[in-house]
Amino acid sequence: VGSEILVPLTLKINGALQRVRIDPRASLLDTLRETIHLTGTKKGCDHGQCGACTVHIDGKRALSCLSVALSCQGSEITTIEGLGTPDKMHPMQAAFVQCDGYQCGYCTSGQIMSAVALMKEPIGTNDADIKEAMSGNICRCGAYANIVDAIQQVRKGKS
Amino acid sequence: MKSVGNAIPRIDGPLKTTGTADYTSDHNFPGMLYAFPVTSTIGKGRIEKLDTGSAEKMPGVHAILHRGNIEKMYRVEPSAGFSEAYLDERRPPFEDDIVRYHGQYIALAVASTLEQAQAAARAVRVTYKTEKPDVNPDLELGNTKPAPGEEGRPNVDQKNNGPGKVVSERGDAQKAFDAASVKIDHVYTTPPETHSAIELHATVAVPDGDTLTIYETSQGVVNHRNVMVQQLGMGQEQIRVISKFLGSGFGGKLFPWPHSTLAGAAARTLNRPIKLVLDRATVFQAAGHRPATKQRVRLSAAPDGRLTSTQQDYVNHTSILDDYEENCGEATPYLYSCPNLKVTKGLVRRNIGTPTSMRGPGAVPGLFATETAMDELAVLLKMDPVELRLRNEPKMDEGLNIPFSSRHLPECYRLGAEKFGWAKRNPVVGSMTRDGLTLGWGMAACAWMAERFDAEVIVDLRDDGTVRIACGTQDIGTGTYTMLAQIASERLGLPVEKIEVVLGDTTLPPGPLNGGSMATASVIPATFLASDNAIKKLLSIVSASKGLTLSGKKPEELSYTDGVVHLKNQSPGSGMPFGKVLTAARVRSAHGNGKSEGTLGKKADVSRHAYGAHFVEVTWEAMTARLRVNRVVTVIDGGKIINPKTARNQIEGAAVMGIGMGLFEETVYDHRSAAPVNRNFADYVMPTHADVPRIDVHFLDYPDMAVNEIGARGVGEIGLAGFAAALSNAVYHATGKRVRDLPITIEKLL
Repeated sequence: VGSEILVPLTLKINGALQRVRIDPRASLLDTLRETIHLTGTKKGCDHGQCGACTVHIDGKRALSCLSVALSCQGSEITTIEGLGTPDKMHPMQAAFVQCDGYQCGYCTSGQIMSAVALMKEPIGTNDADIKEAMSGNICRCGAYANIVDAIQQVRKGKS
Repeated sequence: MKSVGNAIPRIDGPLKTTGTADYTSDHNFPGMLYAFPVTSTIGKGRIEKLDTGSAEKMPGVHAILHRGNIEKMYRVEPSAGFSEAYLDERRPPFEDDIVRYHGQYIALAVASTLEQAQAAARAVRVTYKTEKPDVNPDLELGNTKPAPGEEGRPNVDQKNNGPGKVVSERGDAQKAFDAASVKIDHVYTTPPETHSAIELHATVAVPDGDTLTIYETSQGVVNHRNVMVQQLGMGQEQIRVISKFLGSGFGGKLFPWPHSTLAGAAARTLNRPIKLVLDRATVFQAAGHRPATKQRVRLSAAPDGRLTSTQQDYVNHTSILDDYEENCGEATPYLYSCPNLKVTKGLVRRNIGTPTSMRGPGAVPGLFATETAMDELAVLLKMDPVELRLRNEPKMDEGLNIPFSSRHLPECYRLGAEKFGWAKRNPVVGSMTRDGLTLGWGMAACAWMAERFDAEVIVDLRDDGTVRIACGTQDIGTGTYTMLAQIASERLGLPVEKIEVVLGDTTLPPGPLNGGSMATASVIPATFLASDNAIKKLLSIVSASKGLTLSGKKPEELSYTDGVVHLKNQSPGSGMPFGKVLTAARVRSAHGNGKSEGTLGKKADVSRHAYGAHFVEVTWEAMTARLRVNRVVTVIDGGKIINPKTARNQIEGAAVMGIGMGLFEETVYDHRSAAPVNRNFADYVMPTHADVPRIDVHFLDYPDMAVNEIGARGVGEIGLAGFAAALSNAVYHATGKRVRDLPITIEKLL
């Protein structure tokens, strides 16, 4: 039922091409979660206000709930699943575990995607700079200090 | 092997950081349909006409479900306790045509895609007979008439909750107040707050024959199952509820909300898996909130600071049909020594969805009022607020006339004052400055109950040398997976890495709700017992085995030490690891069950609570009216801390929420539509990274052996209690403005 109005779309996600048929109104977030079943990216507000749905589009952080999926054809999309796995975590994922940079874990994908992207952003090196740059990602559990610690740990490991 | 007290990283951390932990809405099933609710756009009235015609014809739509075409839903019988079948909003959805709050469920659109369901829900035309709703934020205090029932429909709970009902009383508080020369009498208010867990409430209901599996955003799968059994009219064996990972709850997911019943009924009606994820606005409207409170506090003291009377009269708003009580006087009778005390309560009805428990229900708004009042008394007495509290430290729980199990609140004050540098405080308002900013230093005490729910745990020692521990409780972000592994590790003498923890499923032995900061404390006795029983079983397996060195020995001749079975009179080094023993005996596991009874609601011979003290520094820039929380020291007397890493995170997170409560958070209802106008995360302001300073947390770590064998109390809520008072007291010290109505927004400081 209703399949007649679905449209074909090819997305490049985590290096792999995904050919899907979606409702043309679908956001990138809902397409990731409901059609491709990459559920690591989370929905918290659907209005671009919480940051839980943060992914990378062409290397820059973007809110997938505010991105129309059809507009993402041709872009390189990276989700939390593209960073690492439980057995082989990305250094930022490992630092979040080490520093307890979460509680419930629900905003965590978005926090980590933001944190990884901001490594390449022109911001300062102080805690205050990181806090400013991370303020689009709300953590209701309030693990903010630990998140900043995790980011600083990765930064210092790099330098 | 010592596991308790180790600051180990969470064992579920690699799942949470890689997007592989499955939360409720992450579940997808073949043939699954998407549901989206139609909700009322008025706050009071009656549905005259529901026109679903055009919506039903839209692409992909399977059904527009409403009162006339959905499987029947029932009320729940009166609950005797929190785990029997408890819920706050007792009316099942679609029960009648009366609208009592904005956002009430009216119909449910079900379609092949989420977008189709959302579009169809918007296309349903509803005609209302509209009445003027009452969402007045100013609650009637001191109005002693009973809360009114609705026309032709008595209050659900049938009891008189008119303001003035006495909660606790000793001596003659009014007489002492009248006679005193040093006294304060003020009214404090706290606004409706919304839990705002980042995970939206969601249900995925999967029918299979006459059974239903419900994936739910739940802080209590057992209670949720029990409620669904009654609301859907099914047998207990027909419903399974699963909550493996929860995107936090803070009480908002403690008890079932009508969306879950709706999803279950829709799945049964259409015989298809149904995914229902609420949008953020609906979470604000129909999934609970902390109600507004209004509290009059009267204190009197002798010139030396000793309290001579305490009076606290409070009311909170509740919904039209339900009697939700915000227990603001929870901590008042036992926090200080005072010969004359009276605490009264009351409810005020509004056309607002039913309130519910939010982190530290009762004590959190209550301590804002009473701990701000203590600061006002200290100012009046020209006495240091720490000294005032020390002078009123009680020797026993004067509310219940029983001793404290373990209370080290004075040490919290002293350690906090030392870490904060409180001795340098100049009490004169606005007298302290740094870098051109005015400093404000404030402090407050906090307290929260330390009780237990019933719990049942299964421990399996397995032939591969690992352990499986299972319990039908949940990890809501507090670290239950990790702490259970540490608790079992402690008892079994095995490394945490060898222990698998299974939670969040009603097919497991019934476990506690994640409420009242009780889950961790509750599972300790059951885990210890289950571990001991598994060891006993292991020894009997060895005894009955053949061909092993230890075969044929009587169980009482055998001993278990750190994973090894050996002869009692020989060293563990001479024995055999349990995995090898079980392999040789061709048994998969040595199984132990442990069951323990709760303490909540039972007559106690000792008063069990967690305590603490917050010290807060704010900076105030008068020229621009810029207020910042700059520094926090919090000391918690939380019993034995099982994992300092996760426990510290709990206290820090509570302080962050306390900054929100103190400075930002307030749900505002439109007096015309009764809608919460700021039902989104741009307008319901919560603390972000940039709002939060370093929070310096210290634990005293005195075991409270009256709570359980480890002496551990819960620490999920205590950190929020009292925090807003410490903050408002700091604001007063900086600005001279005493803000008695939260949140402390800029216009209140101008």
